Amino acid sequence: MTLSRLSRRLGAVAALAAAAAVVPAAGASAKTTITMSGSTSVAPLAAKLAKSYVKTRNVSFKLLQGGSDVGINDVAHGRVTIGNSSRDPKSSDPAGLVFNKIAKDAVCLVTNPANRLPNLSAAQVSAIFSGQVRDWSQIPGAGASGTIDLIGRTAASGTYDAFNKIFMGGARLSTTMAQKASNGLVQQAVKSDQNAIGYVSLAFTAGTNEVAYNGVPCNLRNAKSGQYGGVRNFFMVTRGPATGAAKKWIRWVQKSPIAKQIISTDWVPLS
Amino acid sequence: MRSVRGILPEPGTWSDRRAERTLGALACTVLLLIAAMVLFVFGKAWPSFAHNGLAWLGGGGNVDQQLSAIFDSPAKPADYVYTLHAWPMLYGTALVTGFAVVCGLALALLSAIFIVEFAPEPVRRLLEPAVRLLAAVPSVVYGLIGILVLVPFVGGTLISEQMKESVAYVVQLDGTSVLVGGVVLTVMITPIMIAIVVDALRSIPRAWTEGAAALGVNRWRVMWTVSVRAARPAIVAAAVLATARALGEAIMLAMVSGSVGFAPNPLDGLTILFEPTRPLAATIVDNAEGLSVVPFGQTIYAFAAVLLVSSLALSLGGWAAKQPLKRYGLAAR
Repeated sequence: MTLSRLSRRLGAVAALAAAAAVVPAAGASAKTTITMSGSTSVAPLAAKLAKSYVKTRNVSFKLLQGGSDVGINDVAHGRVTIGNSSRDPKSSDPAGLVFNKIAKDAVCLVTNPANRLPNLSAAQVSAIFSGQVRDWSQIPGAGASGTIDLIGRTAASGTYDAFNKIFMGGARLSTTMAQKASNGLVQQAVKSDQNAIGYVSLAFTAGTNEVAYNGVPCNLRNAKSGQYGGVRNFFMVTRGPATGAAKKWIRWVQKSPIAKQIISTDWVPLS
Repeated sequence: MRSVRGILPEPGTWSDRRAERTLGALACTVLLLIAAMVLFVFGKAWPSFAHNGLAWLGGGGNVDQQLSAIFDSPAKPADYVYTLHAWPMLYGTALVTGFAVVCGLALALLSAIFIVEFAPEPVRRLLEPAVRLLAAVPSVVYGLIGILVLVPFVGGTLISEQMKESVAYVVQLDGTSVLVGGVVLTVMITPIMIAIVVDALRSIPRAWTEGAAALGVNRWRVMWTVSVRAARPAIVAAAVLATARALGEAIMLAMVSGSVGFAPNPLDGLTILFEPTRPLAATIVDNAEGLSVVPFGQTIYAFAAVLLVSSLALSLGGWAAKQPLKRYGLAAR
């Protein structure tokens, strides 16, 4: 086959591929598309909500993940309509962003199942995670003995930010804490180490012992009633106030009873 | 392009010239790509290096607190925080890589000698494909095995409570360690080294080994004094390739070598093997979530730049090490 014939064939294939890519896009262009990216903690909730929303509205969604800071950065540069964030606004965030609160999520303290520690007070939590208390024998009710292994998240994660603000009460985190890159890795580390204590999002507590905080067990009911203190916010971030289809969507997520019902399966709806 | 008259078409036909140019352009694109990548990474990383100077490579303070402070920089570019002393991560990278390459090289050399010289035919036929299969296993699979099996084993069985207490104020020993990272990395890089060394040993001219055997030298000594010696350039090449893979390994090490920027202390004796560390590439993976914070992203790019430079230095070093060896051995790649 000569090169020119080859290139003509390749050209034809490319044209076909392009046509295939364009056709569905043209079909969908009658609909408005809302694009979202960001927090991996918010993503499962956003997907559930969107699935229900598209049944009745002429809107389609594109949902990407990447972490809270990715979402915030994407929306600030106009790459997506909405950036999902599981952390509060920060002073270093780009100017002009609007953080729309959509739900709340509980952060639980977890230990190895062999260590059936029932409860920790706020003072105990900050003493443990700041490294003042380093041995389980100093914690009444602990089923483990020996040194405490601290398992946490990397500084760039939303859960780290939430834990620092809610649980540490101004104390500095110990430098010996292992910093894991995801909720799942913290869960795994706690499951396999009898002396470990860590913190994870409520959805990642399976296979661990959930420790009550200030006497309140970490579960959905207590988080909803407001009794459980370790609760953080989920946001949908827009550049300037939301407009058009995005505005309708966010208002639906915040206000409609259907959305509230979906949120309350695993998260805490706004009151 | 030269052609053999009568077999290939005359040079200078239109399609021929076009093919030549297309291929030339493609080859040049690779060069351009490398140049662009180095420029881009260094451009991004520059503020981190410029702010810290040579102290960037040194120690001092806690590197995780420094990273955290960089991540929490104020919004104004003038107030960005850049202070970083990356020594624990550089040292961790060297420690884990060194451990793996030294163990791996010894293992690979012995296995290759066995495969080429001593293994019975059926065993060899089974071993060689198995080695090639091992070389192709994705690193994340090794990481999973490490975190689900080795880390709990080391944390629960090998590390004693006494050992934990002796270093409790500096670092916690929970199983993720230099040892697990090094061992899994050894398993990952050994197969490539075996494959390269096997090929080299096999290409030693039969006459050399037979000549030595005819002089009454036994098989083992023939292997050491003739074959291995002649294959030294290939052994260096294998070590360089393996080191490059070890340096760049990120996912697996992020999972099993520990998630804290700690420099294991040789004064702790054997405990050093159980201390956690976080090599450079693993630090990049662990912190990718914060790339959008400008000074933090630039710091991450600085890690990438150091990795780029070290792999470049590695290629040059390998090339230089091979030069004097080539005189005695076979020309290796």
